[in-house]
Order: sequence, then C-alpha cells, then structure tokens
Amino acid sequence: MKQFVYLIFVLIIVNACKEVYEIPPQAFVQASFLNSSTKAAVSQNVTVWGVGHEYLWVKDSLLQKILLPLSSNDTTSFVISFDSKIDTITFIHQTMQKFASMESGFYFEYKLQSIDYTNNQIDSILITDSLVTKKWNENIKLYLTPSATDGN
Amino acid sequence: MRILSFTLLLLLLTAISYGQGEQEKKIKPKRTDNYIRMRGIRLGMDVTRPFQDLWTKGNRYGSEFSADLEVWPNWFSVFESGYEVMKVKTDFIDYTGQGSYSRIGFDYNFLQAEQKNDKDVLFFGLRYGFSLARQKVNQYWVDSYWGPVTGQFGNQNYFAHWGEFLIGIKGELFHNFYMGWTVRGKVKFNHKNLWMPPVYFIPGYGKAAKGFNMDFTYSIYYNIPWDFRKKKSAKTPEIKK
Repeated sequence: MKQFVYLIFVLIIVNACKEVYEIPPQAFVQASFLNSSTKAAVSQNVTVWGVGHEYLWVKDSLLQKILLPLSSNDTTSFVISFDSKIDTITFIHQTMQKFASMESGFYFEYKLQSIDYTNNQIDSILITDSLVTKKWNENIKLYLTPSATDGN
Repeated sequence: MRILSFTLLLLLLTAISYGQGEQEKKIKPKRTDNYIRMRGIRLGMDVTRPFQDLWTKGNRYGSEFSADLEVWPNWFSVFESGYEVMKVKTDFIDYTGQGSYSRIGFDYNFLQAEQKNDKDVLFFGLRYGFSLARQKVNQYWVDSYWGPVTGQFGNQNYFAHWGEFLIGIKGELFHNFYMGWTVRGKVKFNHKNLWMPPVYFIPGYGKAAKGFNMDFTYSIYYNIPWDFRKKKSAKTPEIKK
C-alpha cells in the first residue's frame, strides 16, 4: 500500500513537470557601435523602433551593442535615433524557417544580403557575419561619425 | 502477490549470478519441463496504453492487443499490434501524430515448472516492430516584435521500424486468466526523413529523435481453451520429481 501511494506521488510530480515547455529561440542581428575615425567601440544613447511599428524596440538606452529582430518578410527597416539625429536602416535578407522542438515549435533564421541606410549619424555599415542565427554573435559593425561619439 | 514474488525472484537471480562469478561453474541441469504447458492461443490487452499521458510529455494514448502461442516447449511466438495517438499543444504549436504499429517476435521462458499445471513464466523476448503513421501540425505560432507569424503543415505519412529486447513475467491468476508485465528496450533501425517538421513521434516506439527508448507494459490475458494440438498432448511426458 505504501509503495502504491509512493507511485501515485511520483506520477503526480511527473505529470506536473511535463507541461513545462521551453520557449523557442530567437535570432537577432547584433550590431556594434564604433567610432568611424578611431575604429574604437563607443557607447551611444539610442532609441529604436521598427518602420511602421507603433512600439519602441529600445527606449533611450546607453548601449555599445544592440540586438535587432528581423521580420519573416525579406525586408526589415528600423529607425535609430542617436540623441537628436535619426537614421533609417533597411536589412534585405533571406528568411529560413527552422524547427526548434515539438514543444517549442518553429523560429526563423536569416541571411543578410545587403543593408541600405541613411547617413545622418551613420558613416558606414560593415557586415561581419551574414548569418543571423539563434547563437547571437556580431553581424554588423555600425560606424558612427565622430561628432556624435565625442565625449563617450 | 505472485507477480511481486516473481519480481523478487528476478532480482535474486541477478544477484546470485553476479555473486558467483568465476568461483564455481555449475553444470546446468537439463530441464524437466520440456512440454507444451499452454494449449491454444493466449490473447492479451495492454492496460497501460490508454494511460501513457500520465508519464509522457504531451498527450499520448492508445490501445494494444497481443496474441501468443507456445510453439515449442518454453518458446512462445508473439504478435502485438496497436494504435497510438500523440498530441502536443503548447503556446507555440498544435501537433498530432498517430498511426498503427505491429511487432512480431518470440519469448523464451526460463522459469522451470514445479508442477505440471504450473503455467507461470519468466521470460526474455525479442521483437521486430514497424509502424505506419502520419503527423500534422494543425497550427504553429512564432511570436516576435513584428507580430505573430502563424502557419500549418498538412498530413505527412511515414514508416518506421525498430527492434526490442524485453524481460517480463506472466502469471496465471485464475484458470486461463493471466496477468503480466514487461520492461523493454527499443532500438530504432530507421524512419522516413521528413524535411519540415521532422518525424516527432513513432507509434509503438516513442520519440523519433531518440535512438533508444525504454518502455514498460502491463497486460491482462485470456488463454482460449481450444487445444488444437490434442493428439500431440497425449504424448506429453510427466515431470520427473
């Protein structure tokens, strides 16, 4: 009888644990901010939102690196506000559907093909790794004009 | 109680064989129960299959039936067949995999009968299993800053096969009524590769991603009292005491 009660107890514990599922992974573009003159890493006060999107992705934060989510379409555009200067970055990419697990479902990974951008604060952009995967690593270097990075 | 005693016996046998080692080599005496003990076909139903949901991740359930026949003394040919369903529904996916499966193989009883009417068996068995199944992703959701992306994958059919080794007991509770359990190791041979999503569940085997699965069964049986080998039985030798 004691063993039976023990078995029921174990089954209850197993049953409670089995409904815990991991959330699916996400792939982000990781961008680093650098001074275009010195090529040194800089921290920037940034606000970021997606073009046509009403919610901010990053709100007024001092960052040296930033993670950007791409959409499942082949083009994703962001507006980045460096203090008062505003730039738009457009990623042209391939989207690849990936399987995480039968509990977590699917997620997307990407291959960067090209990047279009405005030059108000951004001097240039270099793609260092075109594959945007769930293992976050630096994908682009964002070189900013010195005037904006002075003092940081 | 009888089943419990068989379990203890199994553990004892393991302990004794380990303890003896190389110290003494006993000559195994010849079996005195070389006769067909179970006349006719025994039909069984695994009572654990509808309740697999209690110990597996996702909602897994099904039914399984079996038939076995003692073809030679202590050798039982076995056929098992069933149908299983696996459903996984989370915040990210709604999946269903289902299909039928069958296994063929044999059991060898290594429990010597003490009395002529003793039909209890402690056995080792091997099986070859195969399954025809289909899976479907009714809907999936990928959440992101840009809004949720949803989609689905229609029915995908696949075949899989595997091997099993098992150990178990069957004890006669009442005349012609048996009960017993098995513990099984399952080794996957192969299954059809699907691009997206990959095969997740193989009925009768378990999760397809694993090359090895453990399982257990608990079944009830009825031995159909139809002695189609009556003429042979007349020549059955008595047990030497």
